[in-house]
This record gives sequence, C-alpha cells and structure tokens, in this order.
Amino acid sequence: MTRPLPPAREAFLLPALFLTVAGAGGLRIAPAGGALSFVPPPLITLVLAVLLLGVMARAGLLIPNGLLGDHRTGLENASGTVVLLSLFAASAQLFTCLTPDAGVLRLVFNLFFLFLLWNTLAAQPDRTRLLRSLLVVFGWAYVVRYVALAALADPQAGWTRRLLTVLLEGATAGPIEGEATAPLAGYVAFATVALYMIGLVLLPRFAAPTTAVAVVAAREAADIVE
Amino acid sequence: MRVAGLLFAAAYAAFIVSVYSRQPRTVQQLAGGVAASVGAYHVDPVNFQEGLRFFRNDQFPEARAALERADPARQDAPTQFYIAYSYYRQGWGRVYRDDALYQQGLEVVDRAIARAPGGRLVVPDPTLQMHTADELRAELQRGLTRELSDLNPMKVFEERK
Repeated sequence: MTRPLPPAREAFLLPALFLTVAGAGGLRIAPAGGALSFVPPPLITLVLAVLLLGVMARAGLLIPNGLLGDHRTGLENASGTVVLLSLFAASAQLFTCLTPDAGVLRLVFNLFFLFLLWNTLAAQPDRTRLLRSLLVVFGWAYVVRYVALAALADPQAGWTRRLLTVLLEGATAGPIEGEATAPLAGYVAFATVALYMIGLVLLPRFAAPTTAVAVVAAREAADIVE
Repeated sequence: MRVAGLLFAAAYAAFIVSVYSRQPRTVQQLAGGVAASVGAYHVDPVNFQEGLRFFRNDQFPEARAALERADPARQDAPTQFYIAYSYYRQGWGRVYRDDALYQQGLEVVDRAIARAPGGRLVVPDPTLQMHTADELRAELQRGLTRELSDLNPMKVFEERK
C-alpha cells in the first residue's frame, strides 16, 4: 500500500527536479575561459543508473507500484512513466557529473560505484538507510571530484594541495593527476546532487504501518459492534 | 493537471535534448538558443550594420568582431553567412589560399546552413558574387582541396568572389 502522491508533485515537481538534474549533470565548464560543454551520458553510467534504480526498488525507496499499475488511470500511468524515465536520466547524468572525464580515475570511480551499488543491493537496506547511504556515496564522490582533485590540479591551491600530496604520498605508485575544474562547476554539481536527493525524498513511499493497524482495528471494532 | 504536467515535461525534455545537440559554448549562446526556439531572438541592427561596413571595406577581423556582437548566440543565418564570407575573402590570395581561415569559414557556413529554414540560405546582397550558402560552402571546400589544377598558372587570373 503506497501513500498517493499529490498530483502536482507527480506531474510537475518530480519531472522538473529530475530533468534539471539530467540537464545539469552533463554540464562542463572549462577552467580557462569558462566555455560550456554538455556531455551525454557514457554507457557505463546507463548501467550504473539501472543498478541504482534496482537498489532503490529493492529498498522501497522507489515503488514502481506507486507510479504504474492497473489501479491507476492511463493519464496517471503516463505521468508515472515520465517520473520513472526522468529519474533514470537523472541517475545516469548524476554519475556523469560525479565521475572524472578521463583517465584512470574515471575507471576507479566507475568501479567504486559499481561495487558499492552491488554491495548495497545485497545488503537490502530499508528506505531511510539507503537514502543515508546514497547521501554519503554521492557526497564522498563530490568531495573527491570537485574538492580534492580540483585542488591537486590547481597550482594556487597552496595548503590544500600540499596536504593532499603528503596524504597520498606512498599510497600510489606515482603522483595522482588532479582534474582542473572551474569554481562554478563545483557549485553547479553541488546543486545537482542536492536536487537529486530532494527528488528521491519526494518519491512515493509506503503508507505508515500505523495507518494499516488503525484501519484493521477499526474494522474489527465495527465487526464486534455488529 | 496531469496533461499540463506531461506537456511541461515533454517541452522541458525537448529543450534539454536540443541544448545537448546544439552544444552552446557560452551563456549568451544558451540564452539565445532558448530565445530563438520561441522566435524571440533578434540580431543587434547597429552592430550588424557596422559589421557590414567593415566587411565591405575589407576589414575582415573588425567585421567579424562586430558581427559576433550582433549575433552573440550565433543563431542568425545571414549574419553567420557574412562571417563565413569574411573568412573566405580574408583567406583568398591570388597564388595561395589560407587553409586555416578557409577551415574556419567552412565551420561557420555549416552553422549558417544549419540555422537557415530548410537548410537553404540566400543573401540578396548585390556587392557579393556568391549569394547562397551552398555556393560559399563549395568555394571554401574547393580552396581546401589539393588537386593538380592548383598548379595551373592561369589560376592567378581568377578573381575573388
């Protein structure tokens, strides 16, 4: 039993949030000159997005029955399909946003996401725990990609760069190349992650068990009275 | 409510797909693309006229600067045509063609063709010898092609178009 979504949230708010994430996720801003470019989702991010949606469905964060089904009208099903498709596009582009564009680090990030999602799938967390877990995973990826790697690539970063170099000394075979990003790109990525997480919180959820208990109790009481 | 939501989502998704396919390089190009998609985009007439004046005086870098100001989003086909033409004229030489300028011209004329309705662009300017984007494109491509006829000494008598 799912708690029905308000129509405005399902028809406008969720598609708007997820499509915004899908659009902003591929935005790249050149550190020199600020030229824009829009990166379509690489194939690996589509795989990761499928896996993520599977994990969400397993944990009860995404309830397909609350968006699609025979109990809903055609228009409601169309609306639910839009939410699902936009969620898929947003998930794929969020991985694009948080993954370096090239090099070994890109492979490392993708493998990290892949194993983490696989592990989460096996662990079968509940809705709240999955939300916390995703916040930590995406937050970690954000910090590494837009704070640590950007600092490593920035010769002006000073103490941050020196600290990271010392911390990574000996941990790798050679020096880790940072990835230069425009400061604005970090803000855009932060907003993208935040919007995605807000969208996840607003997805339909199972009705609270207390409601079901109250309904059963009321029915039993009515039976007794009869 | 749901029908409006579906229309909104379809329009928003189409906009995002169009942005990814057009690949705007600046915020002005992004905003110009949005304005052009709703028919609200116009070139700046003052800068355009200034660009034309420079173009006719063979001041090509100046002409391009003014025309770029007139059409910052690169959405207006005739303006892009003049920019491409300026690359052609600047790159044209009696005994050589500047490949770098011709290549840039080719990129711009391709953009002009892409922006023109149906891909057909005619500029009825009597001061030009080529009035269509197709002619200009073919001329630029000819300039970039290496062939035996390049060695023909009679080519030095060819006139700039």
